Amino acid sequence: MANVLVFAETRNGEIRKVALEAVTAARKLADATGGGEVHAVLAGPPGIGEKAPLLGTYGADVVLVSESADFARFARESLAATMAERARSGGYRAVVLGFSAQGRDLGPRVAARLDAPIATDVIDLSAAGDTITVKHPAYANKVIMTLAISGSPVVISVRPSAFTAVQAPKAARVDTLVPVAAQGATVTVVDVKEGAKGRPDLGEASIIVSGGRGLKAPENFKLVEALADAFGNAAVGATRAVTDDGWRPHSDQIGQTGRQVSPDLYVALGISGAIQHLAGMRTSRTIVAINKDKEAPIFKVADYGIVGDVIEILPVLTAAVKAAREGH
Amino acid sequence: MTAGNIVFLFILIVAVGFFSLNVQRLVSYLQIGHPDARTGHPFTRLRNVFEIGIAQKKIFRDPVAGPMHALIFWGFMVLTAGTLEILIAGVYPAFSFEALLPKTIYTVYSASQDMFAVVVLAAVSFALYRRMVLHPRRLDGDDLEHTDALIILSMIAGLMITLLLSNAFMLAAFPQAMGPEKVVSHQLGSAFAHMMDPRTALARYHIFWWAHALLILAFLNYLPYSKHLHVITSLINVYFSNTSGPGVKGAMRSMDLEADVESFGASDVEQLSWKNLLDGYSCTECGRCTAACPANITGKLLSPRKIVINTRQRLMEKAPVMTGDRMDFMRPALSHGVESYEAATSDEVLGHRLLDSYITEEELWACTSCRACVVECPVSIDQLDIINEMRRNLVLTESRFPAELQPVFESLERNGSPWAFSAADRAGWTEGLDIPTMAQMRERGEKPDILFWVGCMGSFDDRAKKITVAFAHILRACGINFAILGQEEACHGDPARRMGNEYLYQILAKNTIETLDRYEVTTIVTHCPHCFHQMGNELPQFGGNYEVIHHSTYIERLLQDARVPLRSAEGQKLTVAYHDSCYLGRYNDVYDAPRQAMKRALPVIELIEAPRTKDRGLCCGAGGGRMFMEENTGKRINAERTEELLATGAAALAVACPFCMTMLTDGVKANGSEVPVYDISEIVAGQLQA
Amino acid sequence: MKIAVCMKRTPDSESRFKIAASSTAIDETGLKFDMDDFAGYAVEAALQLNEKAGGGETVVYAVGPDNVQETLRKAMSMGVDRAVHLKADAVPVDGIAVAKALAAELKTGGYDLILFGKHAFDSSAGVVGTATAELLGLPCITAASQLSVDGGTGSARRELEGAAEILSFPLPAVVTIDEGVARPRYPSLKGIMAAKKKPMETKPAQLGSARVTIQKMELPPERPAGRIIGEGSAAVPELVKLLQNEAKVL
Repeated sequence: MANVLVFAETRNGEIRKVALEAVTAARKLADATGGGEVHAVLAGPPGIGEKAPLLGTYGADVVLVSESADFARFARESLAATMAERARSGGYRAVVLGFSAQGRDLGPRVAARLDAPIATDVIDLSAAGDTITVKHPAYANKVIMTLAISGSPVVISVRPSAFTAVQAPKAARVDTLVPVAAQGATVTVVDVKEGAKGRPDLGEASIIVSGGRGLKAPENFKLVEALADAFGNAAVGATRAVTDDGWRPHSDQIGQTGRQVSPDLYVALGISGAIQHLAGMRTSRTIVAINKDKEAPIFKVADYGIVGDVIEILPVLTAAVKAAREGH
Repeated sequence: MTAGNIVFLFILIVAVGFFSLNVQRLVSYLQIGHPDARTGHPFTRLRNVFEIGIAQKKIFRDPVAGPMHALIFWGFMVLTAGTLEILIAGVYPAFSFEALLPKTIYTVYSASQDMFAVVVLAAVSFALYRRMVLHPRRLDGDDLEHTDALIILSMIAGLMITLLLSNAFMLAAFPQAMGPEKVVSHQLGSAFAHMMDPRTALARYHIFWWAHALLILAFLNYLPYSKHLHVITSLINVYFSNTSGPGVKGAMRSMDLEADVESFGASDVEQLSWKNLLDGYSCTECGRCTAACPANITGKLLSPRKIVINTRQRLMEKAPVMTGDRMDFMRPALSHGVESYEAATSDEVLGHRLLDSYITEEELWACTSCRACVVECPVSIDQLDIINEMRRNLVLTESRFPAELQPVFESLERNGSPWAFSAADRAGWTEGLDIPTMAQMRERGEKPDILFWVGCMGSFDDRAKKITVAFAHILRACGINFAILGQEEACHGDPARRMGNEYLYQILAKNTIETLDRYEVTTIVTHCPHCFHQMGNELPQFGGNYEVIHHSTYIERLLQDARVPLRSAEGQKLTVAYHDSCYLGRYNDVYDAPRQAMKRALPVIELIEAPRTKDRGLCCGAGGGRMFMEENTGKRINAERTEELLATGAAALAVACPFCMTMLTDGVKANGSEVPVYDISEIVAGQLQA
Repeated sequence: MKIAVCMKRTPDSESRFKIAASSTAIDETGLKFDMDDFAGYAVEAALQLNEKAGGGETVVYAVGPDNVQETLRKAMSMGVDRAVHLKADAVPVDGIAVAKALAAELKTGGYDLILFGKHAFDSSAGVVGTATAELLGLPCITAASQLSVDGGTGSARRELEGAAEILSFPLPAVVTIDEGVARPRYPSLKGIMAAKKKPMETKPAQLGSARVTIQKMELPPERPAGRIIGEGSAAVPELVKLLQNEAKVL
């Protein structure tokens, strides 16, 4: 009977979506390794324990609530120590995390502390005998690796959105987990700057909305900005023609002579797709193009294209995106 | 010999002695430059001296200043003989060419002196009028430059006036002293004779003779301090120049990258060649180069004229310190214009350098390497060579270049293309066309007659791929046995070389030669003028010798041989303005083939020429690596060029270069125009039989 | 400061990859290998920190076969002082095994700062840097997008989803570097020449046992050819549906 420990990531006193996905993945792993229990560590500031039932809804058998004022922010060393200590004492088969900003940091820490093998950014997993097998996209998603992990415990972090959080209601038992204090020198969180304040950098944004000469006039970039707002935290880019004309600052330029980006979603608005521009965004994971010329080269690299007047389509798209996100 | 003769002899010796000291000094300054072998091919060099120097071929490119200058120049050539006579006669009053020459020749000589004095006077007057009243923009300069020009022009005018007056007063005193061939002097002389007695006239003669003789010596000694040093150096400069041959025009010189040196390229004058420095002496600041420079025309900081003047200024600042010459009183010579750079101590002088102190990075990166300045220069200065050497220093020694070039260098290194596209996609355009690669042909035991070198633009750029396909259709239709390299094609490094990265260039060039030699390639056809120039003219520096033909020439030959199956020649009348590519035109003199090809394929076509065309054509703005750089200052070059082409009223624009295609297409779009831009091969392919 | 940078040699990211006949590796023919992009940011960050500090030593480490020496040389052409090559037939996919080799080596190095790329392009795992820090018992910032050092204290910024942490930490420490920190300089020919004369030490890598192994490598299903889903604003609902359900980016 092998149980799986899962890190239920929180931020600002809320359980994150990626935590529920991790619970689902842990559930799948526990089932594959003989139907053990899923124990979720819910670490956060005092009061976080109130959220425990949500984890049960998604299939956690036990919720280990670990409350500490330090956990209001990402107290990496203490969280790693708490997770590792529990994994060791609890005799778990695996530790599962989300491959989020937090999980990216915590996973290797827990693995090193446990001297356990680790697989990160996993999109699928299974088990047979003593071996856990995972799928991991490598080479910037151009190759899928199947990795075999031997030994126990193992640490696995799952790619956000790769596992769809599925409800599997359980009356989860709630236990308390005493936080383990960090030892030695630690990192101090001086401040956390929440989004909103300006747009993210083009290099780091996961969604980029970009405009070209097809927007006809600089003031029409307002429509692009509105779409970026609708996506939440999207960055706004532009083509060289547009920055050369002074419609947008040069720092916004995407392309050979500007920034080279590969976000999860790239929306090209009124961009024909000259070689100079394609060289800067072609590797984006999903590309959407809206352009009036259906022969435009941008449609050759776009996953989804709409032929038409971008000025007319933009407000409709903005409203639809906003509605879709709110309905989420 | 009179006392006057002895005084004159003394003055003559002092003046000539002082002049020789200056010559020596100037030669010693040249010697701080790198060696550069420029003595080969004496006949080509002499031909250049006659055509460009004596016959003033390039001077005449300006229809106004050209004849003016040619008259002054030829006048000076003629009058120099007379000057010699006057100087000798100053010491031995009895001396005259009359005693040495047959009568007729002497008469012609004598008449020429009189006539050319008037001609030169007229030309100089016009030059003064032009400079002071008309103010052509290309003559803009600082006050010192202006004063220098005015001094020189006044001196020349003074020389002519004193010559004519001294002759006239002599004739007023003794009407038989000179033959009737001196028409002007006789006219003046007889006028004077009415006004004064012979004694007064003789006294006046002496005054003007001395004035003339002293002015000659003053002029001689003023030259080394003036931009008009070109009077002495320009013919020498034309002789040693390579800009009109010998050698391959426009080919950048190769560098020894294994040399154990601290610095590559040039950041200061001693890292330039002596010939670059001689260019500095020869520049008369006429500004024709700058007036033709696409960067300057559109408001960039670059001025090729300034590059050359700065080289001279820096030489005049640094060389005295390096050569240790003590002629301090000569130091300000020619270093006028940039007062803030005039350093007081040797340490300060050595603290400066040509790069940064005189010529900024921004100027160097603004160059499109279009060669307009070089073609325009009447004394065959190579401005571009200085720019290229300085770019090399920036990249190879200091790793300083516009940030946007780094991905270009890295991509050339990793992907063999200036754009980050995988080599695996190179032959993407062949889909459905069944074009064989060299490797496939070799496997089948076949060998194509020609290699179609597609180039990076032709392989990856969506618009340029259509040119590639059009040309492939033509080759097919003519039954040409050709192949491509496909995935094995990789950039030959030309963009890296033009951007100063000789190291990367040489790696890529050698790889290219290796690939070509592996397939025993002998003949290459390409639609990219940059590939055409690089492979044909520069790869031989590394042992890659191929016959490289640009597609315009190749298509023209096929048409001439009637090998192209054309539809009946009917069709709509199309007016087309053809834009010359710099690397096809000014680098390789291919002007007619693309025009002829269009005419042969589509006889109803009407070609219209923009005002700036052929060897005067304005660059599209993409050359010299500018394609990959931002253009933030002034007007965009492609906009300037496109507007000029559209203003012809042509229904379509034609190009023969994929880079020009991009620039003009963008220009047309920015202009809000719908005029199509075609490659010449697309126009020809459009006439192929179905 | 004494700074170590650990780097990996990886194939160019623009390449078209093919799977080798063994089906557990990529086919390396025709691929161009170079310093990993993120390692490049780390090298640049190290050089800039020492330039700003006005001195110090920068040392690069790499695990792998002999060809990693070329990559180490490149780092030295950028200005790194010396290199250590930890020789191994191949770099295991098990990040903990690699971290053990590096920690064993770095333990006695006396470094103020040890930098890594946030991950390497090939394995895209992001394990080695942070795990090495844990093994060394040093504070660690994973994926810093800004980094500075003032005396014995470092400051960094780290991107979270839709927010950013501003962090402070004592030296010695380990930092893995994200894209924003510094764009790597382009080595000058002068630097390339100088690098030929800089010291390179080679010793065997003390790799831990590999418990993660590659069972299979495959190419992802062909990205469905781009499609035009419609004309005008009528196509918007369909687009949003696809972004939600197929591309999963909404």
